[in-house]
Amino acid sequence: MHRESIRRLWSRLDPRGPWRGLSPLERRRAVWGWVFLSPWLVGFLVFYLIPMVASLVFSFTNFNLNQPEQIRFIGLENYRQLLTDPLVRRSLWITVRFMLFSVPISILVPLALAALLNARSLWGKRVFRTLFYMPTVVPLISAIYIWQGFLNARTGWLNRFLAWLGIKGPDWLNSVTWVYPALILIGLWGMGNAMLTMLAAMQNVPRELYEAAAIDGAGPFRRFLHITLPLITPVIFYNLVLSIIGHFQYFIIPWVLLGPNGDPGGATLFFNLYLFKVAFVYVNMGYGATLAWLLFLLALGVTILLFGTARYWVYYPAGEER
Amino acid sequence: MMKRVLPLLVLLSLLFVAACRAKTPTPAATATKAMTTATQAPTATPKPKAQKPTATPKPKEKIRIRWFIGLGTGTNPEQQKVQEQVVKAFNESQDEIELVLEVVANDVAFDTLRTEIAGGNPPDIIGPVGVRGTNEFPEIWLPLDDYLKGYDLSDYEKSALDAWRRDGKLIGLPIGVYPSFIYYNKDLFDEAGLPYPPHKFGEPYADGDPWDINKLTEIAMKLTVDANGNDATSPDFDPENIVQFGFVFQWTDPRGWATLFGAGNFYKEENGKYVAYVPDHWREAFHWYYDAMWKKYFAPNGPYIQSDLLAAGNPFNSGNVAMAHCHLWYTCCLQDVPNWDIAVVPAYNGKYTAKLHTDMIGIYQGTKHPEAAVKVLWYLAHNEDLLTVWGAMPPIKSLQEAFFRRLEEKYPGRDWQVAVESLKYIDIPNHEAWMPNFAKADDRVKQFQSEMENTPDLNVDQALEKLVQDLQAIFDEVQK
Amino acid sequence: MSRKPYVPSGYAWTSSAYPARQWRRLVAVAGVTLFALILLLGYLSPFGYMVATAFKDRQMMAKPNAPLWPAVEATYTYTGPELQVKLGSRTYRVVPGKTYPLYRVPTEEGIRNLALVIKRRKESYFIDPQRPEQGLIRWQGNWRKLQPVWQFRPKWENFVKAWHEINFPRLLRNTFAIAVIGAIGTLISSTLVAYGFARFRFPGRNVLFIILIGTIILPGQVTLVPTYAFFARIGWVGTWLPLTVPHFFANAYNVFLLRQFFLAIPRELDEAAMIDGAGPFRILWSIVLPQAWPALVTVFLFHFMWAWNDYFYPYIYLSTRPDLQPISVGIYTYNAMYFSQPHMIQATALMGLVVPVVIFFLAQRAFMRGVIFTGVEK
Repeated sequence: MHRESIRRLWSRLDPRGPWRGLSPLERRRAVWGWVFLSPWLVGFLVFYLIPMVASLVFSFTNFNLNQPEQIRFIGLENYRQLLTDPLVRRSLWITVRFMLFSVPISILVPLALAALLNARSLWGKRVFRTLFYMPTVVPLISAIYIWQGFLNARTGWLNRFLAWLGIKGPDWLNSVTWVYPALILIGLWGMGNAMLTMLAAMQNVPRELYEAAAIDGAGPFRRFLHITLPLITPVIFYNLVLSIIGHFQYFIIPWVLLGPNGDPGGATLFFNLYLFKVAFVYVNMGYGATLAWLLFLLALGVTILLFGTARYWVYYPAGEER
Repeated sequence: MMKRVLPLLVLLSLLFVAACRAKTPTPAATATKAMTTATQAPTATPKPKAQKPTATPKPKEKIRIRWFIGLGTGTNPEQQKVQEQVVKAFNESQDEIELVLEVVANDVAFDTLRTEIAGGNPPDIIGPVGVRGTNEFPEIWLPLDDYLKGYDLSDYEKSALDAWRRDGKLIGLPIGVYPSFIYYNKDLFDEAGLPYPPHKFGEPYADGDPWDINKLTEIAMKLTVDANGNDATSPDFDPENIVQFGFVFQWTDPRGWATLFGAGNFYKEENGKYVAYVPDHWREAFHWYYDAMWKKYFAPNGPYIQSDLLAAGNPFNSGNVAMAHCHLWYTCCLQDVPNWDIAVVPAYNGKYTAKLHTDMIGIYQGTKHPEAAVKVLWYLAHNEDLLTVWGAMPPIKSLQEAFFRRLEEKYPGRDWQVAVESLKYIDIPNHEAWMPNFAKADDRVKQFQSEMENTPDLNVDQALEKLVQDLQAIFDEVQK
Repeated sequence: MSRKPYVPSGYAWTSSAYPARQWRRLVAVAGVTLFALILLLGYLSPFGYMVATAFKDRQMMAKPNAPLWPAVEATYTYTGPELQVKLGSRTYRVVPGKTYPLYRVPTEEGIRNLALVIKRRKESYFIDPQRPEQGLIRWQGNWRKLQPVWQFRPKWENFVKAWHEINFPRLLRNTFAIAVIGAIGTLISSTLVAYGFARFRFPGRNVLFIILIGTIILPGQVTLVPTYAFFARIGWVGTWLPLTVPHFFANAYNVFLLRQFFLAIPRELDEAAMIDGAGPFRILWSIVLPQAWPALVTVFLFHFMWAWNDYFYPYIYLSTRPDLQPISVGIYTYNAMYFSQPHMIQATALMGLVVPVVIFFLAQRAFMRGVIFTGVEK
């Protein structure tokens, strides 16, 4: 009995084990799968694996970017620091709190916009789509100056417009409360890619389905809810996963716009911003890598969780499991 | 359509891959070789031979020296042009060394340099870089004393050389000193009917009062005007609509602000330990500048500094600031204010302190060709074109006269004697000097700066108290 | 007498039902389009700031009462004899050949455009450009309350200057080449890999997919140094290779996206073709890809736009080679530490925007078709 269960366990661990139960056809298909994956597998081994493993190794060292030759192992020292560093908790909390607002917005707004830009009643679709997409292509440094000028409390266009309406606008970039809406606004300006993927998905919804629904008397709203939405869930799922990963890694806009200290008053000290500062300003790449692997585990956990939920709400006509 | 497009794409990509494979260097190839192959590989795709050849092939193998610019001055468009010319002239002047220029924007220069060093592909020469920049890279410099033995240093100002000694070793060749003074906009003084600030140390202001912080405050308030034309001394003054400011500390941090009241630092050594504290005159300076921004309004606070009104962070050049405390290097970038001159810094308690910037160019400690690098370094440090375009007053006595002559050609009629005299009142310790656990301590000081600039009702004493606490904790990390 | 046939009153209305539906549709079109237009206006207002800045004069940007649009102050060049006024302890001069700004000044003859030659707080001196021989006009009051005369003048010179100063054609060529090469690479490789993930079942597939996603979860900051060291070691630093070659080996963003699209394509056609004896490549080529056309275009655009604006990696790998750098790097010339020039940055950025926007516009053909194939493409 023991021997039997051990053998079963072994066959699971044996890399060739899972292949055993397959029929010749299935086996051939599986080989084809690996063939198609091979470009990525090669690229992964050549370009990704070494740097990833290296960064994991860094996390057990005192790697200082200015003195690479003095690197040495310090065991779990960095991980110990991780547990006592108050900024880890604070920056994680800032990141998660921002995510709770920003992620839904980063999905819903492009979705609504894509629906609008796909509406039958919209005239001049191509021009509209192009113009709504355009800000996504504005280079970072240009965008930073745009927003610094646009949101400036004194001379910014937004506050001038509000003043024209009779409202005294806040100091968007220097107020601990208003800086978050400002960042979300800036984020929305780069939503072109999310919009684009959703638009692309909407193109693939078979027209017959809409026609059938119209005959049944369904209005545009119900058609969207019952036909479009379910059929584009794969792409919504894609955007959700990437949005969450992107928010875990969020830092470049606040870094350039508001500086390395998370101004105002530490309100924008996002986790990845702190990480970048540790690694490249405090030149402590060892601890920086530790923080990065914490982020990796957290984001990976959330991602796997999301993939687990996918079966309940993401609709794949081709069936994921087949 | 796809049937037409996709084969084309495949063909193109195959072509590209083939081009790459043909040109990819063998592992044995040297870095120099890789550089030359690179010119070819990409041009294979667009238009071949569209570019002029960058390096003419020479039979003899040259020593390749890479010069990294970006930690300080040297990235303005017109500076880049001069630098390119100088490098070209140098390469044509001899056939042993090939000097390669690497200019990186300041935004990414620190990260880039760190990546290159840690990634095992460091440059040979780095600079111009100031005290601040070197503090962020304290460990990377090659001590030059041994390599400079064959060179005559007697023409150098001794103080400038001493400024670049760390633990007694020279870590770079000083290329410029930049005394600080008050830049003032004559048109704005004329409009207010105010006399210009004095050009000589010890001289009183035109009304006979001493030229000190109080006098500066007084005239700066008169020079601060709102949209209705009321100045900051008027009861009708509207601080929400200021269109002209009296004074600004241009591009410096809290240590730089406070140094106008006298040199100092945020730590002292007691019984062999670093103790964080705020010198009394610095405390007073912070109160003064906070009030200047938020109570008397003659200096722009954060929201104003970032506004278009002050040229998005270049206040004096906007023409809307009457007086700016800044360094000689600012002559690099004063294009928009037609009528300016320079005056001496105001005294505090009868004492003048004009903070000093110095720049050097150094050599990376791991360079393979230190002798060649020193040769290049010497050439650069004596090049008048570079010094002019950097606004760097040479610490080499024989070059100083020529420097001011060329500065006079660029900006005629300025009182350059102010700059020379200011060198007698420099700050010791320097306002950019080292602090224990520098990167973190400096980061914390910047945080204090942001509080000062952006918080309307800041309790300055409380903020300072918190600063001292945090600094102490940061210092303690490196002393246990 | 002829009689008209009886027509029920409602009939005329219903007989024209078709025009009425058209009418209703017109209202819908107008409503939706107008709504989109208003939305667009708000959405693009920061872009308006960008365009306005790109056309502005640097000095104009800092003028407190300047309009939002690009303009210059109207000026007058004085030609008369030198004039002097002594006020208090100092002498003010009006010099021939110097230009002075025009202001709208209320006078007895109504509001007139006069040149402000001497500025003072309580009183100022003007010269009438029409009658300069009259000399100085003394005006009591504060000149800051007067409006300057602004003339609309977009500064095209900014674009000309940027074009030459940073060698824009060269930057454009480099950017385009890097972006297109990478986009082609990622399109081909990601399609193959995504097809493998979406259509084949094999042991380890899910784990591999999670690893694939994992490669984009780990922040790039910590893999940067080893990656750079690797490329430096094989001599790729200073070339386009690190910016293009890795894209020929697929990446997670695009594989994930294409996988999602492929999974949304029903399998019935695949299976039919398989029974007909078609191999995996044939099925991919003639069944899956025709149905995923919008997704392929999306991936191409994705990479193209990303590469167009990527600046950190080009900076790191091409810092010694200005002749190979893309626009995203060249634009930083105008962001020097103590001399940033926002108007030049925006002018450069606008010029750099033209190509991607045109490509995006054209690429939409693929979208507009709404490709739906009901049979195997023959």
